[in-house]
Parts: sequence; C-alpha cells; structure tokens
Amino acid sequence: MAATFPTARRTAPGRSRRPSRWIAAGLLVALALAVLLVPAVVQLDQQLVDLRAANQAPSLAHPFGTDEVGRDVLLRVVYGLRVSLLIGLVAALVSVTVGTVAGLAAGTLGGTADRVIMRVVDGFNSVPHLLFGIFIVALFSPSATAVVVSVGLTHWTTAARIVRSEVLTLRARPFVDAAVSGGSGRLRIVRRHFLPHLLPHIALASVLMVPHAIWHETALSFLGLGLPPHLASLGNMINDGARSLLAGNWWASLFPGLFILVPTLAISVLVQYWRDRANPRWRSELQL
Amino acid sequence: MTRALARMAAWRLAFTVPLLLAVTLGMFALAKASPFDPVRQYLGDRAVITSPEVMAQIRENWGLDRPVAEQYLTWLGNLVQGDLGDSRSMHRPVIEVIGERLGWTLLAVSCALVLMLVASLAVGALAAWRRDSWLDRLITGTAYANEAAPVFWVALLVIWLFAVRLQWLPPGGLTDPAATTLQPGDVLQHMILPVAVLAFSQSSWLLLFVRESLIATLREDFVLGARARGLRERTVVVRHALRSALLPFITLLGARIPELVTGAILVETVFSWPGVASASVQAALAADFPLLAALTLLATLAVVAGNLLADTAYVIADPRVRVLGVS
Amino acid sequence: MTPFRARFAPLAPLVLIAALGLTACAAPTVPQTSSKGSPGDTFVLGISSEPDTLNPVLGYAPDGGSLLFDGLVSRNADLSLKPSLAEKLPEAGGKTVTFTLRNDVKFHDGTPLTSEDVVYTYQAVLDEKNNSSIRGDFAAIESVQAPDPATVVFHLKYPYAPILQRATLGIVPKRLLDGQSLESAAFNTHPVGSGPFSFVSWTPGDKIVLKANPSYWGGTPAIQQLVVAYATDDNVRATRMAAGEFDATVLPPKAAARFDGQPDLTVHQVPSADYRGVMFPFGTPVTGDLAIRKAVNLALDRSAMVDTILAGAGNPAFGPIAPGTTWHNPAVAGSAVPDQAQATQILDQAGWRTGDDGIRAKDGTRASFTLMYPSGDSLRKDLALAVASDVKKIGIDVRLAGLDWDAIEPRMGKDALVMGYGAPFDPDYTNYELFHSAFAGQGFFNPGNYKVPEVDALLEKGREESDPAARKQAYDAFQQRISDDAAWAYLVFLKHVYVVRGQWTGIAPSVEPHEHDTGGLFRNIAEWKPTA
Repeated sequence: MAATFPTARRTAPGRSRRPSRWIAAGLLVALALAVLLVPAVVQLDQQLVDLRAANQAPSLAHPFGTDEVGRDVLLRVVYGLRVSLLIGLVAALVSVTVGTVAGLAAGTLGGTADRVIMRVVDGFNSVPHLLFGIFIVALFSPSATAVVVSVGLTHWTTAARIVRSEVLTLRARPFVDAAVSGGSGRLRIVRRHFLPHLLPHIALASVLMVPHAIWHETALSFLGLGLPPHLASLGNMINDGARSLLAGNWWASLFPGLFILVPTLAISVLVQYWRDRANPRWRSELQL
Repeated sequence: MTRALARMAAWRLAFTVPLLLAVTLGMFALAKASPFDPVRQYLGDRAVITSPEVMAQIRENWGLDRPVAEQYLTWLGNLVQGDLGDSRSMHRPVIEVIGERLGWTLLAVSCALVLMLVASLAVGALAAWRRDSWLDRLITGTAYANEAAPVFWVALLVIWLFAVRLQWLPPGGLTDPAATTLQPGDVLQHMILPVAVLAFSQSSWLLLFVRESLIATLREDFVLGARARGLRERTVVVRHALRSALLPFITLLGARIPELVTGAILVETVFSWPGVASASVQAALAADFPLLAALTLLATLAVVAGNLLADTAYVIADPRVRVLGVS
Repeated sequence: MTPFRARFAPLAPLVLIAALGLTACAAPTVPQTSSKGSPGDTFVLGISSEPDTLNPVLGYAPDGGSLLFDGLVSRNADLSLKPSLAEKLPEAGGKTVTFTLRNDVKFHDGTPLTSEDVVYTYQAVLDEKNNSSIRGDFAAIESVQAPDPATVVFHLKYPYAPILQRATLGIVPKRLLDGQSLESAAFNTHPVGSGPFSFVSWTPGDKIVLKANPSYWGGTPAIQQLVVAYATDDNVRATRMAAGEFDATVLPPKAAARFDGQPDLTVHQVPSADYRGVMFPFGTPVTGDLAIRKAVNLALDRSAMVDTILAGAGNPAFGPIAPGTTWHNPAVAGSAVPDQAQATQILDQAGWRTGDDGIRAKDGTRASFTLMYPSGDSLRKDLALAVASDVKKIGIDVRLAGLDWDAIEPRMGKDALVMGYGAPFDPDYTNYELFHSAFAGQGFFNPGNYKVPEVDALLEKGREESDPAARKQAYDAFQQRISDDAAWAYLVFLKHVYVVRGQWTGIAPSVEPHEHDTGGLFRNIAEWKPTA
C-alpha cells in the first residue's frame, strides 16, 4: 500500500541514479497547475450529464472519452484529483498532528504514560485500517469530513511511533542533558530542542501520508462509502468505470486510476531523493 | 532461549486479553453510535415495504431498545461462554459463518504470503545482484508503480486482461458454478488471479526492502571475505548475503498483517472470493454487530499472533539474540 | 454422495491447504480450457443477489419465486392465478376464504403435506417472535384454521381481495420447525419443501445446488440438476456467461448487449412492473406547488434515460402501474421526450420568474429542491443526475444528495427521493400504503405526505371490492388522479434482461415484480424442456 515506502539505506549517496526525480517533479508541477488552474478556466457542473453523448471513446473533443452518462472524463479526473488531494492533505495533517502529540507525550513523559500510549497504538494497529475506516465513515454517513476523520484516526500511529523513537534518541543526546541540568522544564525542552529536530521527520511523514490518504478515499469510495457517488472523485470514477469496463469502455476506469498512480509515484520518487539528501541514515521506523 | 521465548509469549498473551476487551468495547460503541439500522439491513430490499410497526417489534425482540451497557454485557457474557451469537445479516450462527469462510481466506492469504515471500526474495535478490542494470530499473520501477496503484484498480485491470480479453482464467468465485463438489484443480484455477493480485499488491515494499538490504549487506566485510575466498557469485548472494539480509525482513513481516488483511478485504470483494474478509465488509455495512465483533476479534488475534511469530522468528534466526536473550 | 461432501465442506479449505502444499501455490498452474456449457443435465443459473435465508416464513421468495416450495396458488405467465397446492381457486369475497388441498403432495423427505403445515406456515409468519420480514403483507389475516387434513380456512379482519395473491407463499413442514427458534433454525440453510426441485447443498457466498424432485406432483423437471450461482458483480456474471460457466443469467442491459445475435444464446428482455420515479414531498413550498411538479414531469427526457441509462431495456413511466398488466389505465400517458415550452409556460403562469442566476423564483422562494438517492444504487444515481440536468434547462435547481437509507429516512418529509417499487400482481400492493393518507409520513410509506380524500376512498374501494370490473374502475380513477396531481414524477419501467444458452421450450416471460431472484424468467424453469 501507498504509505510505507522501503527505507533507503542509500549506499552511494554521492551518486544519485535518479534522473527520474526531474520527471517526477515535472509531472507533479503539471498536475498541480492543472488542479489549480483548470477549475479557474473551466467550471465543472457536478450534476450536469449529457445522456446523448455517453460512452464516447477518447477523441479530440474528449481526450479521455466520456463516461456512461456523457460526462467528460478528463475534466472530471482533474476535479477528482483536486478533491482527492485536498482530502489527502487535510487527512495527513490530522493524522500527523495527532501522532506527533501522542509520540511526543510518550517519548517525553516516559514511564506509565509511554506504556499506555504505546498500548493504545498497538490497539489501533491491531484492527485493520480499512475496516475501521468503514466503521467511522458509517458513523458520519459518507462525506469528505468522514473520510478525513477515518484516515486521521487510523493512521496517527505511524507518526506517533516515528516521533517517539526519535525523541528517545534525542533524550540521550548531550544537549538535552545540558538543557535539563540548566533547569529547563519539559515543555521548554520539547519546544526548543525536540520539535526543531523532529520537524523534518514530521514533514516527511506528512508527505508520505498524503498518497495513503488518497488511497483510503478511493478505496472507501470504491466500496460505496466515500464521497457522495455523483461527485467527481477518483474512487467514485473507478467504481463507475468498473461497470462499463465490460462494454469495452476501458477509458472510464483507466484514467482515474492513472491519476492516483502518477502523483503517488511522483511523490515517492521525490521523497526518496529528499531522504537520500537530508538523512542518509534514515531508519526503518517509517515502515512500522 | 526457550525460557526467553516463553516469557515473551506469556507477556504477549497477558496483553492480548485487555486489548481484545478494549477492541470489542470500541467496536460496540461505534456500532451503537452509527446510523446503520440493523433491522433495516436484516429486512434488505423489503425494508421499504415493511410497516414501521413490524420493524419496531423486531427491534424489541432483539433487545435493541435496552440500555447499551446491558446489551454489551449480555453479549460479552455469551462470548465468554463461547456463544458468538447469530449473524443478523446472514441469519445464521456467527460461528458457522466464520467456520465456513475462514478456511478460504486462510487458503488465499497463506498462498499469497508464500508467493509474495518467494517472489520478493527472488526478484529483490536479482535486482540487488544486477544493481543499476536496466533489469534493476525495470524491477524497481514496477515495484514503485505497483506500490502507488490501488489494489482494486489493479484487480480490475487484471480481470480485464486475463478474464475478459484473454479468457484464460475465471474472473471470480470459488469453483466452476457447474461443479457440485470441490475439486482441488477447480479451486486452484479460481485462486490464481486473487492470490496473484494479493501477493503482487503486497510484494513491492518487501521486494524493495530485500534489494536495499541486500545491497547494504553485499558491501559488508563477511561478504567481501567470501568473495575474496573465491566463492561463486551465486553462493555469495544466496548463502551469505541473503541470509543475513533476511533478518529484519522477518520482523517487518509480522507488522504487515493489518495491511494484508486490508488487501484481502479488497481483493476478496473484487473477486467475489467467499472468505471472511469480504464478509467483514458486508457485516460492517449491515451493522451486523455479532459477526463484525467476531471478525474484529479474529483480525486482532491475527495481528497479535503475527507479531509474536515475527518476534519468535527473530529470536530463532538471530544468533546474538539467541545467545544473549531477549532485550 | 453430495450431502456427505456438503457437510464437510467447511473442512475442505484446510484439507486443500495441506493437499496443495505451499509450493503448489507458488508454482504456475496450467489453466484448464474452460468448458463450454455444463455437463449432462446440470443447468447453471447466475443470479445477482443471494438470499439470506431459504425459509419462506422469514421472507424467502414470498411471491412464488422459489423452486423449492409450493404455495397454495401459483401464477400463469399472464399473472392470472392457478391452483398449486390447492385443488382449485377458492372464492375470495368476504372475510372467510377456504382452500381445499391436493391429497398427493409430499415433502422432499417423503412426509405428506397437510393442512397442519399450511396453518403452521401462516401462523409462523404472523408470530411476532419470529421476526418475519413479510409479516406486514399478511396483516389482513385474523386466524388460519385446519378443520380437517385437506382444508384450510383463512379468517380475515376485513374483506381483502388480494389475499389470493398473497397465497403464493411457500409452505414449510411443521414437523421440522415446530418449537424451534426460527431465526437460527438449521432449516433456513437446509430447507425441505415440496417444490419441483429439492435442496442438495448451499455454499454461502457462492452457490446453491438443487436436484429435480422425481416424485413432484406436477411432473419431474427436465433439468435434473440446477445450480444457482451467486455473483453480485454484473461484469463477473457477464464474463462467466461468456465463458460458458453459466447457462442462464440476469444482466443489466448494457452488459447483455454483447450477447445479442450470438449463436446458441437468446437474450430475453422481459417487461416489468419495476419502476423508478421521483417522490415529491408535499409539505414544502417548492415541491408542494403543483406547477413545479407538473413542469418537472414535462421537462424530463425519459427516452434518453431509457436509451442511455437503461441501454434501451426499459419503457418510459407515467404512473405506478405497468403497461401490459390488466390494471394499467392507458389514459394515463405522456410524452417520452421533453416539452420544455409547455413546462416553461406552466411555470410562468404560476408566477415562477427567472432570476439573474437563471433559476426561477416566486415571492422570494427559489425554485430549488434537494433530490436524494441511495448512494449504493448507481441506476438511481444516474437517473437523479439526468433529472437534475433536465430540469435545470427550465430554470429549476435540483441539488443531489447521495445518502444511505438510514440518512434518507428522516429527510423524506422535506426532500424529494428517487424511489423504486412495483409489483404486477395486484394494484393494491404498495400503492395503498404509498398514497393512502393513513400512512402519511410513516417510514417509507407515503413519505411525501400525499393526502387526498378522494384517493383514500378509491384505494379502500379497490381493496375491499371483490368484483374485478369495479376494482378496475377504482384503480383507473386512482391512476388518473395521482397523474393529475403529479404526485410523483415517474421515470422509467425497467426491463429485466436475461441471457439463456441453448434451445428451450416452455420459457414464458411475464411482467415481473421489483424483486426477481429465481422468480422472473426462471420461475417456471421446472417446465423448461430442451428442444431436439
């Protein structure tokens, strides 16, 4: 699944063999521009269908074809990516925030608090995320907020673990000892010493969480539990497209899938590069 | 070593009970707070032509109008006595539903797991060995792309290719519908696509991990030593490097069980595989609490067991841990 | 042979794990060539939704769609009733109905079927403890009695003409069920009936296997073994049909199109009483206005809905009673293509004036309403989208809301909803509950609070009258009245599409209800005979 990319124990940091990062960056910029600019130029009426223009194969007028009720797949894919990215960003922010607070508390307070928090983390991790997500979405009835809450509540544990283990490493560092003997309180140490060191890790965890959140939105929509199905979202479009796959309409499900795959892949390539540069000795926590 | 192992296992088991309790309580609270109406799900299509008075009666018969705490305690009491209750959406005892379906999930998941291990090890080792070649690039590129692609989308593409276009394999189900008995060959044929998709979807991280880890190991002293002694390249990679690279890989595997369950949910749904994973989606959609709770407990147990197995394997595999004891 | 295997089916996967060994999983297997058609006398049906239970008391196939059970009566292809377990059709006037049973009927386990079983079946349905989902359908029954083994007497609370239509309910053996908790009885998954096929095995989530009943009173079916396979996904069913795994299946029109004109395959498009329409709430200023409802009705492009959304397998709908049934009033009709000019005129006359944003308004009220659809139903989603697009052209703003049923229910009093109903058997079915003021605001019955005393009177007359001509007159007037009131905007009647392999005689399509499972085209599969 999307979030957990293998650690890169980059063996030859000096020799980056990834010209693909330029392609990735280019694709991401192009997609970002499309997502930002297209809605300013072409308005999508989410409810407008044209039954007389349904199921058209890709052509000049409709480069990605039209779907089973005559909507332009290209325009909807762009809008869908926008919705998915937005949900992904917010959900990543929620989960990383919750995770950072929990991880900081566990790492800083230690003792019973640490044990309790880590057991809660274990508890959350022992229920399959998707099932848990379905439950939470059911609680709020399908909507963007529900998806955000569902991803946020199930995925904070990753960030919590990373932050906690980083804090534990930091605690052993001399400057922390110095600060403690200098009379600094816990909050001050957290604010002045831990957070600045943790920021790159937190940022990386957030970026990695975005594709995962998008994945969750699409999976929930695919099961009929995501955004309202008439709205343009990538999961809804794959779900719709799956129905007309057999009639030969491959374009209605292929393109929305590509629009999940391409940005996810691009983000992972860039993260990989960043990780190589910023932290050659990146550890394996991200995978847990 | 055995004592250390036993202590670890006992510690894990002691932790499992409160964990399970907490999980059931959480699920129960969520089910109660959710807007899903079990009575409506029970009635299915007929709900819209059933009078509200009949629905109220069913609600009362099921005890849905009693206090939530009482409902929970009643259910928990039965559970402790080994009675998992009746599934409301399937109209049968939960234990029967699970008994019928669990085997199919275990079959598919264990085969996928084995396939994923073997394939990732082999392909990952190949990529590491031929590092930076076009083959390596192809393998890592595919792995990254696969990692980024949603499994249900991949499953659809696979169905499209192998079942619709090429018509090589059946697109779903467990057996040929005309078959009235279970033929291993028949099941095997229906298993290929779901197992392959499940294994494929889970294999990327493992493959890339094996590759990275192997590349690192290949540069370590003992490997260099083996090479210096003039051992064959294959022996070096397989006997020396791979073995030592395997270690962290085993521990990571246990932690992947939740992801495997999630993958199974989607794959079973797309391929209409009659296992417990797809049943859990139905149960959640139907607010079928007895079934859902049982399946959640099962998933939790699987995760705990997975972690325990991973740690055990780690202890057994690592001579340092074996000799010095569990930290 | 098979029952033994069936009993140990749960163990099979474990045995398989052991047998296959782990290496076998990784090893590539040579796919077998897919068999074309099924061997011997086995016939495989591909059906979309699996029943939860096979017990008629709990709601399995109450309209006679079961092949395992017989009702007191059953239906001909033209939907007229014929005696089944009953010797002849009884008189259905007044508050007492007496059935005389055939004396040659045995359950599949060899025990005779008597009036005791019939009484038990109906009492079990009516017993509140059994949580039967169809109890409400039999609300008219006061009591059921068996004065002798061949006679059953129904005592009704009020004269209820459609009681004979309800007597299609399958009869279960009292001996196997009496005194048990029906909700978890073993019978629900291992039923014993008296129908043309007897139960062999059920692999939940996969299929049910039936075999011909050699001593069936109506003659042994030509199909010796019947497999009912379940696959929810339309694509999966279509693919399995194409691969030759299914001998017959039900498909959405789009997926069935590829089978047209293929040798050895026949596509049956069967008209149904299964309609979809927009239910308007009457309590709000916008949809409560007759002009808006009429204009919406006129602006809809029903022919495009049929052509595109249903891929041609449907008919435009203008009322709740299907054309092709005796109860349909042909005077209630309309145009399948939109008439925007007339719609605009009606709105203008009623004072709905176009505003700056292109949306009409009247006295400060915007011509805007919410249209809900169940989020899991893609057909209703597409129809809702089509409605919103069509009425936007005449200046009415429809906001769509895809919700689950639990979220829909409390909002039905103020928001419109795409609903679907339809049973061809009797016009009393569902229409009484949908349009009688006594049911206003009660759950899914009359959710829009439609209250017209004249309609109440017509529905009551139709229910209690036993003279068919007088009933027809009442229901004709009823159809005209709700059409004049534009109480709903009816959209389409679906056609159910079946694909059948091979040449058969005895296939008898009839107008079908909303639910069809092994009913529908397959309801008389016991009478199908291969040609040649």
